Amino acid sequence: MLLFRSEEHLDQWLRDHELERGATMTVAQQWALARAWYGKRMEPEWRRRTPEEAQEVFEELGLSGAFWALT
Amino acid sequence: MSDKSAPDNDVRFLIYQRFAAEGRPPMAIEIATAMGLSPLEVEASFRRLADGHVIVLAPGTHQIWMANPFSALPSPFAVRARNRDYFGSCIWDALGVIAMLGGEGEVATRCPDCGAEMSLSVTAGDVGPEDYVVHYAIPAARWWDDIGDT
Repeated sequence: MLLFRSEEHLDQWLRDHELERGATMTVAQQWALARAWYGKRMEPEWRRRTPEEAQEVFEELGLSGAFWALT
Repeated sequence: MSDKSAPDNDVRFLIYQRFAAEGRPPMAIEIATAMGLSPLEVEASFRRLADGHVIVLAPGTHQIWMANPFSALPSPFAVRARNRDYFGSCIWDALGVIAMLGGEGEVATRCPDCGAEMSLSVTAGDVGPEDYVVHYAIPAARWWDDIGDT
């Protein structure tokens, strides 16, 4: 997961590397995902999410469709 | 202890405590000393945690490579939080370090296209600047095929 200055820089990088575009999100969306995913990782009772629980986190943040399907 | 998951949870918690406090991952011997376990017991715990995708070990070793969002190896995603320097393996993990350590900090990286320096700042729950773009190259179902490349 890389951070680009703009859509134009992402497109240029994809062309240069002959790569297909994957999925994009805004910095605000990435921060929301980081908080949801890692916010409680330092707590002693933290447990790894099941694939179903992880999928719910994605869906709550609007990340749906084939790209975000875990199973 | 008869319940193997109990020491694994305690080992995991201590890994994160040490990583946060020291900016580097602990060795198995350090965890063993702190918990009164043998190094072999802790190495077995490390392997179970790695098998469960809770941590990532450097290939062929019992050295912790990643306890996500922390990365033991320097990366292009440098994080400053709680007056300490860390690395995340990607932008998700870099922001994850900040989320995990109180929600205030900065990420320093460079645009993969042009090499320009970029800085993301998280203050009072807001992240900026907003015009940067995050790109995910690999679909979610394949992230653990090669986590080092993800």
